Amino acid sequence: MIRLQLLGILEHRDVALRAVSTACKLVTPRPQGRAWNDFQMKVVSAVGEAFNNIVLHGYANRPARAQRGEQQIREQQGSIDLRIQTRRGHIRIELRDWGPGFDPRRVPPPVFDTLPESGLGLFIMQSFMEMAFRSGRPNLLTLSKRYVERSSAVRKSEGAT
Amino acid sequence: MRFEIKAATGITHLAIEGELDAVSVSELRPDLEKLVKGRPTVVEVDLSSLRMVDSSGIGALVSLYKRVRAQGGSVVIKGLRDQPLAIFRLLRLDRVMLGADTRSPPPANKQSKSRH
Repeated sequence: MIRLQLLGILEHRDVALRAVSTACKLVTPRPQGRAWNDFQMKVVSAVGEAFNNIVLHGYANRPARAQRGEQQIREQQGSIDLRIQTRRGHIRIELRDWGPGFDPRRVPPPVFDTLPESGLGLFIMQSFMEMAFRSGRPNLLTLSKRYVERSSAVRKSEGAT
Repeated sequence: MRFEIKAATGITHLAIEGELDAVSVSELRPDLEKLVKGRPTVVEVDLSSLRMVDSSGIGALVSLYKRVRAQGGSVVIKGLRDQPLAIFRLLRLDRVMLGADTRSPPPANKQSKSRH
């Protein structure tokens, strides 16, 4: 398992996404081709939205106090505990935070005809990965996704196009 | 993220490169505000070098699109590919924001807007 303890600030998002992006390579001995690129793109996009949600909503209005101790950061400024588990054909990502929780089932889906400017992140997460959420101290958001290996014939076909 | 805004006769060109996300969108928003206040007739948005976009970046682009059109102008989005194109398609923005302004000929079998 890969585990990162991050501050709940947007500046730490890139660190999280680089770790997730790299971890996507661990689901297959051949991390390349159209299917894998699509898998990686969806995982990184979904986790990026999850990180945004925690920082912009869960930890909104919390001042940055990076000099404080770990427990104080967790309680006062907010931290994000990121855990990545991979095995062949599967990735599972857990994000723990200590902000106020929310029930994703109560968030209405975006009404696309109105060209919404917000509320899109949750939809992206749920569309690109399997999502589960448990509210508490900490809140636990779990994102998982299968990766289906392509046969060599399909890979050759993709390479030819 | 890097961006460039150039005003030419009748068209304002906006090119965005790199990653347009919750971190970088705050750099872009003040310039988009100025752009909209200039009441442009046509805004051409070149996203061919945009590598990644998130919902915050999409929000800024949708806001630009809606505000320019509300003033009677139009927005042409060009060059979408890879992750940004996948996000536009997922959020069904390709039907509205690309379909209305790309000025590409409609498919031969298209019967109505609702079938995009």
